[in-house]
Amino acid sequence: MAQPTVAKQRAASLGPVGAARSKRRKAGVVLQPKVGMLLVAPAFLFVAVFVLFPLAFAIYISLTNWPLIGPYHFAGLHNYAALGKDPGFLHSVLFTLLYTGIVTIPILAVGYGLAVLVRSNRRGAVFLRTAFFLPYVVGLSTLSYIVLLELQPNSGAVNFVLAKLHLTNGGTTWLVNTNLALAATCVLVIWFASGLTMVLLIGGMQSISGDLYESADVEGASWLDKERYITLPLLRPTIALSLIISIIGSFLAFNQFFILTQGGPGTSTFTVVMWIYQTAFVQLHVGAATAMSLVLVAVVGLISAVQFLLLRENT
Amino acid sequence: MRIASTGHHRTLVSRRIPLRMRLRPHPGTLLLLPALAAALGLAGCAAPAPAIKVTAPGFGQNATGVVQFWDRNTTAPFGQLLVNRFNATHKNLKVVLTPVQDTQYVTKLATAIRAGSPPDLVGIDDINSTLFIYHKVFTDLTPLVNALPEKNKLSPGALNLTTENGHYYGTPYVADMSVLWYNKALFRRAGLDPNKPPATYAEILSDARKIKALGHGIYGFAFAGRCEGCLGFTILPDIWATKTYLLYGRPGSERAFIAGNVPLRQTLTVYQQLWAEHLSDPESRVETGATWGQNFLAGKIGMMALGYGPIAPAPATFLAQVGVTLLPAPDGGASATFDGGANFGIPTGSRNPSGAWEFVKFALQQTQQSLAPSAGFEPIRSDVATPAFRAKYPFVATMLAGLSRGYAPKTIAYNTTFNQPGGPWLNMFTEAVFDGKVEAAIHTGQGGFTTALDLAKS
Repeated sequence: MAQPTVAKQRAASLGPVGAARSKRRKAGVVLQPKVGMLLVAPAFLFVAVFVLFPLAFAIYISLTNWPLIGPYHFAGLHNYAALGKDPGFLHSVLFTLLYTGIVTIPILAVGYGLAVLVRSNRRGAVFLRTAFFLPYVVGLSTLSYIVLLELQPNSGAVNFVLAKLHLTNGGTTWLVNTNLALAATCVLVIWFASGLTMVLLIGGMQSISGDLYESADVEGASWLDKERYITLPLLRPTIALSLIISIIGSFLAFNQFFILTQGGPGTSTFTVVMWIYQTAFVQLHVGAATAMSLVLVAVVGLISAVQFLLLRENT
Repeated sequence: MRIASTGHHRTLVSRRIPLRMRLRPHPGTLLLLPALAAALGLAGCAAPAPAIKVTAPGFGQNATGVVQFWDRNTTAPFGQLLVNRFNATHKNLKVVLTPVQDTQYVTKLATAIRAGSPPDLVGIDDINSTLFIYHKVFTDLTPLVNALPEKNKLSPGALNLTTENGHYYGTPYVADMSVLWYNKALFRRAGLDPNKPPATYAEILSDARKIKALGHGIYGFAFAGRCEGCLGFTILPDIWATKTYLLYGRPGSERAFIAGNVPLRQTLTVYQQLWAEHLSDPESRVETGATWGQNFLAGKIGMMALGYGPIAPAPATFLAQVGVTLLPAPDGGASATFDGGANFGIPTGSRNPSGAWEFVKFALQQTQQSLAPSAGFEPIRSDVATPAFRAKYPFVATMLAGLSRGYAPKTIAYNTTFNQPGGPWLNMFTEAVFDGKVEAAIHTGQGGFTTALDLAKS
């Protein structure tokens, strides 16, 4: 005689009603995968068409010499192997890392400072929040064009102000010097992106219970202590999110450099995405550019994963 | 036990599953396969389109249906003018113009061709037409072009860009020539003869010095120092005027002639002098092309190489004090112009090539070409310059006189060598002119051009 299953033993112990419920539960367990598949099918279809298919296509293209025009042939891993020997690509990677390293902390720090400034509901806070967030709403491309005009020698507002302050002669050519161009672009991006960080951090700050601050006040904690021991630890997930968004944005930088420096002088301010664009649409080597893109996707994904692990709430 | 999560149990389960079942892919993997298959299927779309028989009886005559015509944003105003006139007189054949942003034109056209759905007719930047002809995606129009009554009057430089091995794969469409504009009022104030534009580099320098001496923010010269395309358009003809070129060889086999190129050295040197002596507008250092020519239109620049487009909208009072001449060779005695503009091409996948050619013939007519200046361009046939035309467009008439001296390099590498941001042309110019290192720039330039050519051929 076969041994009764655990379910049967349990059903027997529960009586007739319990047995029926257990049967339904069992039936539910059997049907669950099919129902689940059916429910996620539309979403999966969407992902398959707009993510998986392009990704698979991109992988295929990256394994060919795919030119923009004309026939192509399978090239194996040649495009990937060639990346390590492409000085332009390697330089763009280093430049992108440098740029990311420069702007990430200032964006967070300025965003945090702005959030502290406007997190309360005192008079004018809403106006200031709007004002600080406005650059993000205007958009990086528009801001870049504004900055491009204002950095013009002899006619731009920046040079005019500096000349009035007797700091320069008003003829500084900001965008044709690597260091000055990088500095100007970083200032622009910090101005642009800190508003978003501010909004994210305000959301996090407003979700912290006021009781904690009241308790700290009773204990005689200073403002700095409250920030250090209450706000910052509880904001950790929000800070992680802000950093991930900021770093991914920096890794994918394109508009600001494309408009302000066009990668120059020479190729000194080419970011990775600009180099990919150049490879695909100027040099017309789509296969090589796709390989670069896939490597970038992998690196950004890896960095995001590591960052997420390091900054998650329970570490 | 089977759903237990330890590795040990998974091993036990797997041992019990038949091999056939174990080889079954995970559902997630299965779902990836259609995507990959679809990708491979799409990749197969690259098969060449069947050849179009242009010698078929009635080809290009009384065609019917619709012609999809892609034109660059820049030339689209002229294209639309032609389309409107054509559609008004052709009841059974309609041309539909789609303007495409200049910077995206090559990408979009190449993608459309690869996908097997190109437009019926393209108006393409003539410098890029070689690229498509080289890859054999434009229709061979040789018998049709040879039969054109105006063939010998067409811009030779632009027509040359449509040829490959003696065959024509397109026709010129509209011209955009580079010339040297000069402000006669400033010439007069500087004590120069307003009817004697500079004909050598020495005269350009001398005139620029006298004009700069006027002060009040007036400069003798200006150029777009951060716009590689603008620099190629306005500077290369000086070198070509001496019958010397920077690129030699057939498309796909180009060689760079940079080191030892005397006219090139002379050209870089004179621009370096114009910059170092502050004879050129300081904004020349940062001009990306976005406000190209605006300083000349403001009456603050003595001489500037430009096309007709930036000048055309200027008020009549300003135009009355402007003169134009072709771009001089460094030592004079010759002049040249960049044969810019657009060429027609019929992609091999065209669905209505007969209608497309009927429109091309219409667009090349003298009457239609005479409308080009109203859109800021020049006609591509020299016989348009009738007395009435000269009276209406005196500058364009002067430019047309130089149509036979026009040139544009027939190469698949123009974008990687000259039009590429951070490319060898702009790098060489920057190092020579702004850093003052002409010899070093030429030395570096030879390597840069060679690398860029290799890249284009790979």
